Amino acid sequence: MKLYDYILSPSCYKVRLMAAIAGVKLDLRPVDFHPGREHKTDPILALNPAGTIPILVDGALILTESSAMLTYLAALAAPGWLGDATPADRAQVEQWLAFSPRLTASCGGARLHDMLLMPGDIGALRASATRALRELEAALSARRRRGHSFLVGAIPTIADIACFPYVALAPDGGIDLGPYPSIRLWMRAIRGLPGFIEMPGIHRLHEASAEPAPEIGGTAG
Amino acid sequence: MRHQWYPVGIAAKLPDSPAESLLLGERVHIGRAKGGGPQVTDAKGRALPVLTRFGHVWTTLGTPERDLFTIPEADQPGRRLVDVGTVRVRCSPLRAVENFLDIAHFPFVHTDILGAEPHTEVERYEVEIREDSDEVWATKVRFFQPQAAKSAGGGITTDYMYRVPAPTCSILYKTSPPRPGEWDVITLFVQPMTEELCQVWPWMALFDDASTMTDMIHFQQMIFVQDRSILENQIPAKLPLDPGLEIPTRADMTSIAYRRWLKRHGYTYGAQLVAA
Amino acid sequence: MTTTWTAAALSQDVPAGTAAPGRLGDRDLAIWRSASGKIAAWADRCPHRGMRLSHGFVRGEALSCIYHGWRYGQTGQCIKIPAHPGLEPPDAIRVPAFAVAEASGVIWVADGAPATAPPAFEGFTGFRSLQVDAPASVVAEALGGKGDAIRAALGPTPAVALIQPLGPDRSGLHLLAPLSAAPEALDALSVAAEDLRRRAEAGQKGRAA
Repeated sequence: MKLYDYILSPSCYKVRLMAAIAGVKLDLRPVDFHPGREHKTDPILALNPAGTIPILVDGALILTESSAMLTYLAALAAPGWLGDATPADRAQVEQWLAFSPRLTASCGGARLHDMLLMPGDIGALRASATRALRELEAALSARRRRGHSFLVGAIPTIADIACFPYVALAPDGGIDLGPYPSIRLWMRAIRGLPGFIEMPGIHRLHEASAEPAPEIGGTAG
Repeated sequence: MRHQWYPVGIAAKLPDSPAESLLLGERVHIGRAKGGGPQVTDAKGRALPVLTRFGHVWTTLGTPERDLFTIPEADQPGRRLVDVGTVRVRCSPLRAVENFLDIAHFPFVHTDILGAEPHTEVERYEVEIREDSDEVWATKVRFFQPQAAKSAGGGITTDYMYRVPAPTCSILYKTSPPRPGEWDVITLFVQPMTEELCQVWPWMALFDDASTMTDMIHFQQMIFVQDRSILENQIPAKLPLDPGLEIPTRADMTSIAYRRWLKRHGYTYGAQLVAA
Repeated sequence: MTTTWTAAALSQDVPAGTAAPGRLGDRDLAIWRSASGKIAAWADRCPHRGMRLSHGFVRGEALSCIYHGWRYGQTGQCIKIPAHPGLEPPDAIRVPAFAVAEASGVIWVADGAPATAPPAFEGFTGFRSLQVDAPASVVAEALGGKGDAIRAALGPTPAVALIQPLGPDRSGLHLLAPLSAAPEALDALSVAAEDLRRRAEAGQKGRAA
């Protein structure tokens, strides 16, 4: 399975993260998004006329939407992550998958503007991000009241993976996550999942690894 | 610092219509002259001096006393020259350089790539301000690295040298994994936009015949963006040059020399002089 | 100097083994709880290179800076510098610590030593913190009260609202509800609080315009 990938893209990271958790090996094909704008070149446009990445190719199947890729990877190798135990759960997963592009447009737009100099109305992007983050915070605080750490049902789902990266990287676009305690704890729960991998700007949980033993034979001092 | 050269663009990727930017708080436009070469103009539309070196376009708001520094090693045949692409950071340009000179953060910020616990110890190394060239140099720097470069197959103890030839530029020479007798050249050229905002323009001259150009670009972008969330969260935003506000240790000898050299020359754009 | 208690966060939002950002007046805080449950509120700044300690990580009873891993014990004293594993850090390397106490599910902080314990609201506990882009006075007015602790009428379930000034045009709103309140009642309070926030922010925009 081949992923057309960019190391700094939160959407590509969603797919890498889900694959790592599901134990699916990806053949990564780096795309020179910045500074090369390779995603707008003919070979990539031939695969995805929209000129966006990620692109996931598995045999004859070509997917160009990250949420569909999450669904595909989960259905293949980690069906519990589809979160379809009940009709209501299934609908809520769909709800969050449909919500996630708002995060991409707002938090992601602010990040591209501030970090990679892409055009945009930064004030409007941040205001729109604040509205989306407030909705997410309210939903997660309601989940915590019921003893749950994730967006849908009792276990993590593709809904969490779809929303996590652009939220975690919101500070890259000058958006402070300080006002969102439930989001902070939810991100921590995701970072603590078995198989979790990081991307630049999202640090691993150093606390999860035990205090390393001192080096034997090391020359201190 | 007006009389220094600063990077403002990649020579091979100049915009078709002039792009607006900031240099030392002043508005500049970067684009192409009629002949196709680089052109940088100031807020009044006057053409500023330009030169092209290390893949980048450099300009100045003043009248530099000397030519932009050179990197003779980068001219060796067989190297691949990598324009990494710019990243903007809400931090002092001097803090960006200082972070580049630091190795002790590798195990925590570049975990399992440039460092990993328990290999956290920084051994003694040598630092000097070279009077003839007026540059800061750190030599005999050694650190264990799980994946020192895109071309590295596994963990190696890497040798480093750091060089600061200009207040917002730093050059790192590090063991080339495929050619242990040679140095890879990795630079961090910083465009000071304001005292608390900058653009970094990393550039590399590497011995690596195996990796694709995109692989090498992505490796270095990954490393730098891991640093970005640190740089945007240091308090104060400006680099303190007077002792007292921050507490260095022996591992910070390069940073101590860099700060001393900045202060000696009055390179204080992006610096905080009196401890708050 | 503030010698009174400020409500800075809710106990439930800083579980054992985590760190969170907070504010006391115009100062940034790192509020963190050790593995055994001890709460601490420190200046949000590593003395080494100024990195925010609220980005750090908790191992056992110590907080480590994310930048270089410098580790600090309960009193704020630096106890380990990973770059120099054999070195005992000098006493001078210490993070300023603030007074901290917990009552009714609220983490209270103070600069100095307040003469009294922080207020307790018998039978109530903190369940939600929100940030409002309006000054404390506007939030208090929207709640129909005055001061920084208001018995709020946000529907059928009684609530206490603690207002934390966060600069000239921003406030923290820490909400407490009866310990016995069901999740659905808390959901309703949350919705009412968000409605109040919308009104306060709209009013604030109107004033500013």
